[in-house]
Amino acid sequence: MGSAVTHAPVREGLAEGSSPRHGPVKSPRSAELKRRGRRENLAGYLFMSPWIAGFLLLTAGPMVASLYFAFTDYNLFDAPKWIGLDNFSEMFGDPRWRHSVQVTLWYVVVGTPIKLIAALGVALLLAQKRRGQAFYRAAFYAPSLIGASVSVAVVWKAIFSDDAAVDRTQQFFGIDAGGWTGDPDLIIYSLVALTVWQFGAPMVIFLAGLKQVPRELYEAADVDGASRLRQFWNITLPMISPVLFFNVLLETIHSFQIFSSAYIVGGGAGGNACGPADGSMVYTCYLYVQGFENSRMGLASAMAWMLLVAVALVTAVLFWSQKRWVHYEEGGR
Amino acid sequence: MQQGSKVERRTVLKAAGASLAVAGLGATATACGGDSGSGDGTVTIRYSWWGAEDRAQRINKTIALFEKKYPKIKVKTDFQPYTDFWKKFNTQASGGNPPDVFQNAIGFLRKYDAKNVLLDLGAQVEAGNLSMDGFRAGLEKFGEIDGKLLGVPVGSNSMALVIDKPVYTRAGIKPEQGWTWDDFHEAMTRVRDRTGRAGDSGMYGVMYLYDLYLRQNGKAFFTEDGLGFSEADLTAWWSKAERDVKSGLFADPKKVAQIKPKSALSAELAGSEYTWDNFTVRYTSEGKSEYGLAPIPTTDGKRTGQYLGSLMLSAYKRTRHPKEVAQFIDFMVHDPEVAEIMGYDRGVPTTQAQYDAYRPADPVNKAIAAYEQSLVDAGVLEEITPHPNGADICEAAFLRIAEEMALGERSVEDAVKQFFTESKTALVG
Repeated sequence: MGSAVTHAPVREGLAEGSSPRHGPVKSPRSAELKRRGRRENLAGYLFMSPWIAGFLLLTAGPMVASLYFAFTDYNLFDAPKWIGLDNFSEMFGDPRWRHSVQVTLWYVVVGTPIKLIAALGVALLLAQKRRGQAFYRAAFYAPSLIGASVSVAVVWKAIFSDDAAVDRTQQFFGIDAGGWTGDPDLIIYSLVALTVWQFGAPMVIFLAGLKQVPRELYEAADVDGASRLRQFWNITLPMISPVLFFNVLLETIHSFQIFSSAYIVGGGAGGNACGPADGSMVYTCYLYVQGFENSRMGLASAMAWMLLVAVALVTAVLFWSQKRWVHYEEGGR
Repeated sequence: MQQGSKVERRTVLKAAGASLAVAGLGATATACGGDSGSGDGTVTIRYSWWGAEDRAQRINKTIALFEKKYPKIKVKTDFQPYTDFWKKFNTQASGGNPPDVFQNAIGFLRKYDAKNVLLDLGAQVEAGNLSMDGFRAGLEKFGEIDGKLLGVPVGSNSMALVIDKPVYTRAGIKPEQGWTWDDFHEAMTRVRDRTGRAGDSGMYGVMYLYDLYLRQNGKAFFTEDGLGFSEADLTAWWSKAERDVKSGLFADPKKVAQIKPKSALSAELAGSEYTWDNFTVRYTSEGKSEYGLAPIPTTDGKRTGQYLGSLMLSAYKRTRHPKEVAQFIDFMVHDPEVAEIMGYDRGVPTTQAQYDAYRPADPVNKAIAAYEQSLVDAGVLEEITPHPNGADICEAAFLRIAEEMALGERSVEDAVKQFFTESKTALVG
């Protein structure tokens, strides 16, 4: 790839295609062109209209509504009552809310790095040529395909609950701690384990990144006598840092939004959806409890916007930090 | 050129067609949602309730019976476990699409009345579509709030101490009507010492039991619009709980949390558990032991503070088929065959006709019947306490915070404060 032969036709096509859709136009009559352009645009919009309608009705509309509800007292049944910033001040004064923030931050800070390290580690192994490579890739990717589903969370709960697989293994080694899902201090670890197990998606992205690292660099390093570890630190990591950045960003945002797995694994044990003694009460779980159990949709909306702001802030910080550790080729971005 | 523009026109038309089709689908969907009648005068009503598979089978049988007797009415059912039921119901109700008729309980009457969700069935009683005659022991008043008939009771039950019979026998305890809290404490100690099992599974979180204890002392859990007890009352109740958890009279809260949704009693962590008497049926199918019923301990050797609780059927205020809904409820509470199918699954049948129609043959249901009869004989039954708007949230908070306290995640003082804070918010809203 990359020879002059392949480049030539592409360039030709580009030069010719400054107005490629109109074919060879000899005398440009601008009115006619404009009309046709409009018609084409119209067709485009019509084709897009299901999506646009969906976006307006299912995404933009509810978002605007929830922004309004965030400043109201709304119990789902009566008309919303404007209360200004009361929801926000109530939120900050609520110890249960603060607890949910703590649980979520813990989950993000502990779970995300472990997951990324697992993804990168396996990607490094799978990047090498070996027999059955395709099978291994598929096998490691599979959990994240099915991972978001409720059924996996149900299975997870079954594995980690009292007197189940994990508990029995512990007992075999003489640890009688009981199941994880019923323990307010341990349940969050089972959630971290669940997210780490689903490292397939970042792994695939890492794999793609690793494939892009030029072989010559390693060859040169070999000649210089650099060790494997040194090659990893000084070549692999800097070269894949844009991919790493992408994964860090995506996984962090995902982690903040954890809901279904926490809801399912935490639910049932303790009767409420947030695990025993709120042990797995991540932010969105508490949001759900306020909205649908306590019928306080206004407060729940305020919480949702608070989460949005927090995620936006974290994203901004990550983008700001990338200048220090993300290396793009050709200097620019 | 010519061809080009033709293609374009076709493109445009196709695109238009596609989006129309999508819009059309949307329209059909909305139309379906609202319409439940059909050409031949058959109406469909939606009925939802909480419970498990076993109850589903019984209920489906009763519906088949109903549809045979009322061929013009079709019933569509939907069920979830208790907590999920109310989440789904809230969502449906706020979207203006709740079920026409649904299972309900006392803790929700004022809440949904305040939100304009419940149909006043009084008009249907006057119209003759629903009879409120023939109920036992004043149960026809049960779903009446501020003169409105918001629910019709389908089964009655009462709080009891469900015991593991062999354990109690081994410990040599014979609880009798009129035993006191001191006697109970003594019994718990004996169970622990003689059988190596905790006496109780953790009564400190059972709101309905604490209500009885308060009633025995001239108070109540709820008043019309708030809490009927003080922070000092709850501090005393939970301080004792903390002590008894530590001394092993109550089951290890960590273990109790871990084995959920199984109960601590059927999981053999405790020798007894305070709950509704009809739960004995569930424990029997869940656990290996033999379960019986013991009376609620008293403060003065007489008063238990007990009342009959009940599951009810309520209707949606804006249902399009109030008449059919009323006929359905009427059938469900009066028809003797329904009682034969349901047994004591939702408690003891509330009407005399249904009560007479089902004579339990198995020991568990017999025990429940005997227990309820013993309450009538002892004359301990009283009027029910009011349940204000927000009572359901208070109950959930009570259970959760009591568990946190028992697990040592909160001090008693902190737990009490947290409960009062949360209740205040819940009862105002």
